[in-house]
Amino acid sequence: MFTPIGSAEATITIFMDDTPIPARPGETIAACLLRAGLSRFRTTPVSGAPRLPYCMIGHCFDCLVEIDGVGSRQACLSPVSDGMRVRTQQGAATIDGVSP
Amino acid sequence: MNALSFGAPAADADVIVIGAGPAGMSAAIDLAAAGRRVIVLDMQPAPGGQIFRALEANFADPETGALLAALGPAYSAGKALMQAFRATPGIDYRPETTVWDLRADGTVGWLRGGAAGYLRAPQVVLASGAMERPTPFPGWTLPGVMTAGAVQTLIKAGRLRPEGRIVLAGTGPLIFLLAEQLRRLGVKPALIARTDRLRDKIAALAQLRPAALPAVVKGLDWLARLRLAGIPMRTGITELAAKGTERVEAVSMKVSGKTLDLPCDLLVVHDGIVPSVDLAHCAGLALEWRDSEASWRPRTSPDGRAELVPGPSLTAGPCRIRISGDARRIGGAEAAIAHGRHVAAAILGAAASDTAADVRQAMAARGFIDAAFPPGLAKHLPADTTTVCRCEEITAGTLRTQIRAGATEMNQIRGITRCGMGPCQGRNCAVTLARILEAECSAPPVPFHARPPVRPLPLGALAGLTGLDPELAQVVSLEDKPVAAGDDADE
Repeated sequence: MFTPIGSAEATITIFMDDTPIPARPGETIAACLLRAGLSRFRTTPVSGAPRLPYCMIGHCFDCLVEIDGVGSRQACLSPVSDGMRVRTQQGAATIDGVSP
Repeated sequence: MNALSFGAPAADADVIVIGAGPAGMSAAIDLAAAGRRVIVLDMQPAPGGQIFRALEANFADPETGALLAALGPAYSAGKALMQAFRATPGIDYRPETTVWDLRADGTVGWLRGGAAGYLRAPQVVLASGAMERPTPFPGWTLPGVMTAGAVQTLIKAGRLRPEGRIVLAGTGPLIFLLAEQLRRLGVKPALIARTDRLRDKIAALAQLRPAALPAVVKGLDWLARLRLAGIPMRTGITELAAKGTERVEAVSMKVSGKTLDLPCDLLVVHDGIVPSVDLAHCAGLALEWRDSEASWRPRTSPDGRAELVPGPSLTAGPCRIRISGDARRIGGAEAAIAHGRHVAAAILGAAASDTAADVRQAMAARGFIDAAFPPGLAKHLPADTTTVCRCEEITAGTLRTQIRAGATEMNQIRGITRCGMGPCQGRNCAVTLARILEAECSAPPVPFHARPPVRPLPLGALAGLTGLDPELAQVVSLEDKPVAAGDDADE
């Protein structure tokens, strides 16, 4: 759906569901994952429907992912960092050791 | 008498500015240049707002020539403002900081990474910008449906260009601007499907002022270039729908009474922009409903002074908030810069007749633009099967069923259905539910009650909150809830 304009100088790596993805310093997780061609960032808590970013400016919350173990983070507002571990959010966010 | 005089924590700055787009930056520059201590809280990683998003990074990189050429002069025009913002001493700029609470007494709740707290100042400039008008239509939650602003953000900050079969649908100058930027990037949309018609332009001529002519000429130039590039364009489209299961695969619409179906990989929608009122509403500030805009805007004086909704308030004393830029009135970057300066002049107690004239000049094209591009995708209320609340996946039919069963106001419906209770906190559904209520039982549009945090606040950050005013933390009763505009009228 999206391709880089100019050279994609991806010098760092983030992990999406344990898969390494090249990332550009300074870009947001949302931009990085869309470039990588991800088909969904999360599924909804109600029907399990897949979602991708809709507004990209922090209003719609459809880009929610788990970042370094913390759920329901907005991928469109969060810059990448080397070695960051991101996970698709399936339904509602969960907290380790707390059963829903 | 106000909260600051009761032994509450001291002020952290002379002015807190929320947002570092054109309005926030220009206000901060003038205030700091006059010796005021200014804290600027910005949700984004770098200044610029949405219009000048990632401008510094794009100028610093030698390989972005094609990108900057595609974005055009309106984008590069932000460079001087950005440099002044960075060069002015006395601006304490705090990026990646979300604001989740705002009180009329000048108290601001912030979150940065895992840390959160309260700041306070005797003056707050709320310059949090705009959002695209929510436009519920069948299939608008499918992956592959995005707003025009989202695609622009991906171009500016992600250095990404869309590919595949792209359909642009909706109305407003941003559709043309985006199409022209895509053309310069070598991307040819399969269709530009506009809801506006020629008769809107003819009606808008009554609003045309000489000062608006440059904007009109620019628009006609974009249009001519798009036609020359052979990009198909239809006007007066209705009944837009996105189709697909796991993602958008096709779009359909009505054009001149006929149904048009076409395959699609990316549906880009835009229906004009409206002020972001979440923080103003959280602070208990008065909002006014604009039927012609299908949205609220804050009630303000020309120099941005906001007013509290009459009735119970979370804070004592006068309202210390001014609202500037698109968060107050949609006018675009130039108008926002002019208004930011106007607000700064008012705070500094300077004679503000010059800055007031600049604001009027920069807003001169607005009447024409609003009349030429009326809300289109959001013109008709959604059908029963269409999702209104994206977060909780609630359809217009479910909402109408509750209203026909006796529900008469927003909060009641939120309590019953969870509409507006998801992570977006009603940003995408409140206007639509308010309009459905108005249509079903003639209730004037009033937003949900808003209580902080209006953005997610991790429990760990809440536990370590700094700058807490002990008095602020006391909940005496639930009677102190700010009442939304219009609520008090019949009490």
